[in-house]
Amino acid sequence: MLEVIHLSKKYGKTLAADDIGFTVPDGRIGILLGPNGAGKSTVIKSIAGLLRFKGTVRIQGQDSHTMEAKRSFAYVPELPYMYEALTVREHLEFISRAYGIPLSEEEASSLFRRFELADKQDKLGSELSKGMMQKVSICCALIVRPKVILLDEPMVGLDPAAIKELKAQILELKAQGCTVLISTHMLEMVKELWDVTFVMDKGHILGTYAREALANEDLEELYFSVTGQDRTREDGRQAWER
Amino acid sequence: MGAIGYLYKRTLINRTKMALKKPVTYLYLALLLFYFLAVPASLKVVTQGTGLDSARDMAGVLTVLSFWLIPANLIAYAKRRGLVYRHSDVHFLFPAPVGPKLVLIYAHLKTLLAQVLLNLFAVVCGGVLFHVEGWRLAVYFVFSVFIENLLEAGIMLLLYGSEKLRERQRGMVIKAAYGLVVILLGMAVYMYLQEGLSMDTVSRFLHSDMIQMVPFIGWYIAAVHLLFVGATAVNVAGTVCYGLLLAAVVAAAWRMDCKGGFYEDAMKFAEDYEEVLESRRQGNVKRLGKKEKFGKARVRWRGHGASALFYRQLLEYKKSRYFIFDINTIVAVLAGAALAYLYEKEGSFGGLEPYRVFVLPVVAAYMLFIFTAFSGKWAKELKSPYTYLLPDSPFRKLMAATLMQHIQALINGCIMTVPCALVMGLTLPEALLCILFYILMSAGRLYSLAVAQIVTGSALGTTARQLVQMLLLSMAVGAAVMGAVMGMAVGGGLMALGIMDLFLGLFTMIYMVIATLNFYHIEV
Repeated sequence: MLEVIHLSKKYGKTLAADDIGFTVPDGRIGILLGPNGAGKSTVIKSIAGLLRFKGTVRIQGQDSHTMEAKRSFAYVPELPYMYEALTVREHLEFISRAYGIPLSEEEASSLFRRFELADKQDKLGSELSKGMMQKVSICCALIVRPKVILLDEPMVGLDPAAIKELKAQILELKAQGCTVLISTHMLEMVKELWDVTFVMDKGHILGTYAREALANEDLEELYFSVTGQDRTREDGRQAWER
Repeated sequence: MGAIGYLYKRTLINRTKMALKKPVTYLYLALLLFYFLAVPASLKVVTQGTGLDSARDMAGVLTVLSFWLIPANLIAYAKRRGLVYRHSDVHFLFPAPVGPKLVLIYAHLKTLLAQVLLNLFAVVCGGVLFHVEGWRLAVYFVFSVFIENLLEAGIMLLLYGSEKLRERQRGMVIKAAYGLVVILLGMAVYMYLQEGLSMDTVSRFLHSDMIQMVPFIGWYIAAVHLLFVGATAVNVAGTVCYGLLLAAVVAAAWRMDCKGGFYEDAMKFAEDYEEVLESRRQGNVKRLGKKEKFGKARVRWRGHGASALFYRQLLEYKKSRYFIFDINTIVAVLAGAALAYLYEKEGSFGGLEPYRVFVLPVVAAYMLFIFTAFSGKWAKELKSPYTYLLPDSPFRKLMAATLMQHIQALINGCIMTVPCALVMGLTLPEALLCILFYILMSAGRLYSLAVAQIVTGSALGTTARQLVQMLLLSMAVGAAVMGAVMGMAVGGGLMALGIMDLFLGLFTMIYMVIATLNFYHIEV
């Protein structure tokens, strides 16, 4: 379970996240939605422990700064960055040592096959394309066998096969009782995945919506109705035509 | 082996393997070995000539180094700088269940190899220059690599990793570090007022008891003196204080609570660092932590097609704080002023007086040659797909992309030449030809880079590109020198300058035409 309680973050005088609070229970997929500059990245980076913030983040009931919490948590950032001098295989080895999780040859091979990385195992981080880096980043997150996983725009840069594989993997994680939080703009990509959606704008959560409560409403329509971006876009279009 | 050890080991092995595959590594290694042996050998003449060749003098040199190294480190750690993290560390290491203190030590250990090499160099210097006994050098090596590093790591953990230190307290640490420097400066001024300025005064200051009483820096100096000079009451007391400080710092660092509050600053530093690396890869000058500020500006866009490149650059320069002036301008100002001052003071260039018209071109060529790595704004055009999509001819694109650089060269050339020409009494045509030489040399540097890009393509790295560029530029300069020799033989200085410019201009033209190829495709 992931709990975000009264999270606030200021950059200088700018309040990027203001008293954010939400919970994603075990075995549920949460989606963090919001326009550019809404504060999603700030929330994500705070949960991942990369930013100082006011408030509390709990992972499986533990404060997110504790080693116990970190051991059950995986993070896939929006932009993947590899160690230039480590091979793909060595990235996995490094992560398995960092998390103290033994990695068998079969597990690694199976992951590489699923994400079509089998022939790239000995490539250095500096030799990978953006899409490949994203796949390695996802594999590194999966070998942790996380209880809570945070994915920031995970589909960006992936080819259709990898997107399909990632979606299947996310549903598998859900079935295993893992908590998933995805931050994305690609509503189409997550419409069959989500259980609960948090819509953010200007550092605030505008609304929390559970799939069960919105039987017939489309995620896209919900997003535009909450943020009012549709109206703004329509005004812009009319102005352009004039 | 833990994750950090594994990361360190694999990175070292893989980087070594990669480096050994590149021929340029062997060149660097040869140069490093040469400097490692040649510098102490050549300095030996100086130390022997001045009589500064004893173990006591080595202690003096280490004392001087400590004056700025210790405060600089304190300030860097208090500002949460001085440790290099990459984006990959932010991605994988920071969110992992690795103790934040270990993450700090990992960054500190990245410099370990360089530190060992520097200390080895100090040991070689100690043996060759200062005739220090082997056992003292061995103790110094162990002291500097282990004890000093341990203390530095402890201080780094306390300052960088502390979550209790507020901004104000960090500021106080910085002020305290400056305070130590002020105390040392005050002591130096006191000795100067008491004894006047001489080598003896400097020596007495560096080995005085009073500086060994200054906390931290002085205690380090005391330990160094105990080792190299021999025991005195003060240096033994100072060394004991150093030991106590070490024990206190290590104990405090060990007990300190650290949950990773520094990750935010380290992440910001990693972003700045990567930006600087990327900027340097593209041949631009960018300083760490110095974000370029842009003001508001407007331009009147004229023409169409490739002209847009020129006006966009003009707009960027107008928004920039220093307009079109950069490091080349500073160098031009300094070189022009220095040459004018020298000539005014000496009245002539002595034996070189008959060739004084060549002094400016030679200095200009040297300056532009050593700054070949800095390619300026125009090189960015080659990275932008919009440049290639513009509906205009490659030649016009090249001209528009580089025009501002030529204007810059004209201004820098004038800044350097005019004061010198007035002082040296050059004629107007001679001065104009000197300015033209500067412009052509600058253009040659610019187009030779573009040609080097075509030659090396995207497969070879920056070093190979710069080597090819230097080779091409050397050919152009060689031709200009030949022109100068021919001109001198035929009709004197003015003729020589003219032919020199002509030959350099021809090479520049050839490079310019070849450089146009760069504007056909985004990658040749």
